[in-house]
Formats: sequence, C-alpha cells, structure tokens
Amino acid sequence: MKSYRIKAVILRHLYEVRHNGNHLSNMIYWPIVNIVVWGFFTIYLRHSDRLQPGLVNCLLGAVILWGLFNSFQRDIAVGFLDELWSRNLVNLFASPLSVSEYVTGLIAVNLGKAIIGLIAEAGIALLCYHYNVFPVFPSLLPFLLNLALFALAVGIAVTGLIFRYTTKFQTMAWSVAGLLMPLSCVFYPLKSLPEWLQGAALALPTTHCFEGMRAVIERGAFSTSHFAWGLELNVLYFVLAAWFFRLMFESAQARGLLVKLD
Amino acid sequence: MLVVVEHLTKRFGNLRAVDNVSFAVQQGEIVGLVGPNGAGKTTTVHMLLGLITPSSGRIALFGKELHKHRREILQRLNFTSPYMALPGRLTVLENLRVFAQIYNVGNSTAKIVGLLEQFRILHLSNKPIARLSSGESTRVGLCKAFLNDPELLLFDEPTAYLDPQGAMQVRDILLELQARRGTTILITSHNMRDIQRMCGRVFFLNRGRIIASGTPIEVTREILNEHRVTPALDEVFLRIAQQ
Repeated sequence: MKSYRIKAVILRHLYEVRHNGNHLSNMIYWPIVNIVVWGFFTIYLRHSDRLQPGLVNCLLGAVILWGLFNSFQRDIAVGFLDELWSRNLVNLFASPLSVSEYVTGLIAVNLGKAIIGLIAEAGIALLCYHYNVFPVFPSLLPFLLNLALFALAVGIAVTGLIFRYTTKFQTMAWSVAGLLMPLSCVFYPLKSLPEWLQGAALALPTTHCFEGMRAVIERGAFSTSHFAWGLELNVLYFVLAAWFFRLMFESAQARGLLVKLD
Repeated sequence: MLVVVEHLTKRFGNLRAVDNVSFAVQQGEIVGLVGPNGAGKTTTVHMLLGLITPSSGRIALFGKELHKHRREILQRLNFTSPYMALPGRLTVLENLRVFAQIYNVGNSTAKIVGLLEQFRILHLSNKPIARLSSGESTRVGLCKAFLNDPELLLFDEPTAYLDPQGAMQVRDILLELQARRGTTILITSHNMRDIQRMCGRVFFLNRGRIIASGTPIEVTREILNEHRVTPALDEVFLRIAQQ
C-alpha cells in the first residue's frame, strides 16, 4: 500500500464533502436531529415516577453510539456509491490504485466524519440535556472501537454486494443497520428479548457493545467479557467480510461488471 | 515489444466477445483497434487494463505479465474514454489533483496547468465537471490521461463527443504530444478519418476476431480486394458492417 494513493482517496472524498450537501447533512444535521429528539424524550421520561435509575443516561449513550455505528457503515458504502453514481470507477480501477488503498482511504475519511457526528451529539447531550458522556468516555472507547470494526465489516460486505449486483443492492447501504438494530439490544437489555432470540443477538458484536455500554453507564463497571466477545466476533466477521468482498470483486471482474456499474 | 497479446479470449456465457486475438505493438507506434459495434474493441482494451479478467490467453505490457504486475504496469500507462466520467461536483482542478496524487506526479500544479493550457481549457479550472459540455469533459479526460507522462496510452473513442473542429484540434495535440514524448498509443474508434490520420497500423476486428491488420492502405486493399492508392477505411468499415 502506498500512502500517497491513500491520501488521494482521502482528498477525493474531502472534496466531495466540501461540495455535496448530503454529506454535510449526514455528518452533522442528522446526528443533531437524532439527539435532540431523543433528548426531549428523556426529558419526558424524567417526569415518570417509576423511572429505572440510569435509564435516561443509557438511552442517550445508546443514541450516540448507535449514531456512530450507523453513520460509519452507511458512509463506507455511500462513499463507494459516489464513485459509481459519478461513473468514476473505471478511472480509479484503471489506475495503479489498489482496492485495499481505496478502502483504507474511505475508512479514514468516514471515521473522521463519524467522530465529528459523535462529538456533535455528545456536545448537544451535554449542553441541552445535562448528560455528560465525556467522563465515562475512556471506558466506552473499547466498545466504540468494536462498533467501528463491525460497521467496517458490514460496510465492506455491502460494498461487495454492490460490486457484484450493482445498484440493485444500493439500498442496503442505508437499510442494513436497521435490520441489525432489533437484535443489537441498543435501547433495551438482552434479557428483554425472548430467550430463543438471545442466542442470535449474542452472535452480533453490537449486542456486546451495548450491553457493555450499559454496564459502564449504570454501574461504572467495565465488562471485559462483553468487550472480548465483541472483539472476537469482529475478527471473525471482518475476515468473512474481506473474503466475501474479494469473491464479489473477482466475480465482477470476470463478468465485466466493473466497466458497467451504473 | 511494448504490448504483446496472445490468443486472448473472453467469453460471457455463450458469447465470445473476444475470440483468440493476438497482436503486438512496438514502442512509439500509434495503433488503431477498429471495427463495428460489438467487435470486441473495448473489451480488449478493458482486458489490457485488468478491468476484465480474460477467459484465456496472455497479456504482457512493458515485458511483464499483466496478471502478475498489474499495478506496476498501470503506473506506466493511462487510459481515457468519453463514456466514463469524473466526479461531477468536483472542479476540473480538484479532479486532476486527485489523479496527480494517485500517480504521485511531482510538481503537480504546474503539470496540471500546463496540460490544461495545451488542451485549451485552462479557463475551466474552477468549474465543476458536471457543468462542462461533453467536448470539454473529453478534454479533461485527455489531460488526466497525460498526467503521469505515460509510456502507453489507451484511448477509447477519444474524439467521440467533439465537433469536427474540436476533433481536429485534439488530434493535432495528440500527434504533437506523441511526437515529442514518443508515447505509444492504442486507439479504438469508429471514426475512420481519425484512425487514418493518426495510426501507422490498424487491427480490424469483427465479432471478436481480427480479420485484417496492417497499415491503413494494406487493410483497405485486403478487405476491399482491389488496388487502391489511398486508404479508404470508411469503405472498409461499411463493407465489414454490411457482412
């Protein structure tokens, strides 16, 4: 991998952010709307007599962490779709740029965008709803990294699907996080799910991240087991996603789809 | 030989888009790959770039096997086609900066400005690509193609969207750049006038196979099967298309 080519991909996508309002709204506007809506909801909850201690903080923490997962996986796939929509893929892949350099550049830009969104959400939660995530941030960081890794694996798998099946699968870029959400136990603990679903939920790194987040916020405890499970599952999913992407890319090359992707 | 293609075949299901094609191109040559729609010209060029995997056959560029040294080879060549585009929201300058970075071009701003001047589009530097005419976009694509001082240039229909005057200008610029740098050029085109004017040798393809090759006059005589003193590739093209 050559750093100057990765820099070229970063430059290309930073230019896109500068000129494309959709990217700016995805990066700033939607995270802010999200936290504002959930913030008001927590104000309403605070008036309840039977409110479970820590619930409000857990909800706001979940909104912020899910925002990072959702935006990172979506923007990886949308970054690739930008090339496809602008018919730039042939220019890129007829150059010495490798797929791994391209994906690395895309990760760098979109991780930066996701972190900006996360900081905006955390800032608004602090200023408007007096919820300060920053003191527990060091304990949440390992779970955030796990979320980012899983988002990356999902983003890479979706991009592979788009390579092979073209824009027929482009809605996956936006919808796949929604598909995972019910089983990820974002806003409720694992025990809320029916027992027969809990096994499936535990197969997702996201479930371990949000269980771990609740332990940090409610009890101030770092759950090593949830972190370790999340990381191990992430390694497995990342390897599977990379293998799947390679398979899809090679299939697209063999079928001549790289030059017909639009 | 700069380009060596041996027994190249590409099948899509039952269709043989390229069928046992072999040719070679020497350094400094301008060679035309011509033929009617569906002849296999663009598929061949895409295989030379590694964008499509051949079903069988061998491709070697700069004396190296493409499937083993693809990125090293792609650093030394460039490609443009009016049928692909650059990101529309980015300006001309931004797009060229990105590609200059990909090819690790030194002193890239001066290089880009020089090329924009040469292709007479310097005034469009800060205009988004989406707001350019087809002819202007084609010229930006040509600037991109010369960014890395390529030893080999692959052009797919380089003058397709240009008016006759624009096409003539671009042809002259390409010939001048080629003469100055000794760049090897492989062109696919339907425009037989371009091919006749620019190419020293021509490979005529039909239904995936090379049916004639040689200088434009040799191909004219071979296909029309009569003695001619000037090349008439237009007539050759029509004869083959009617078959």
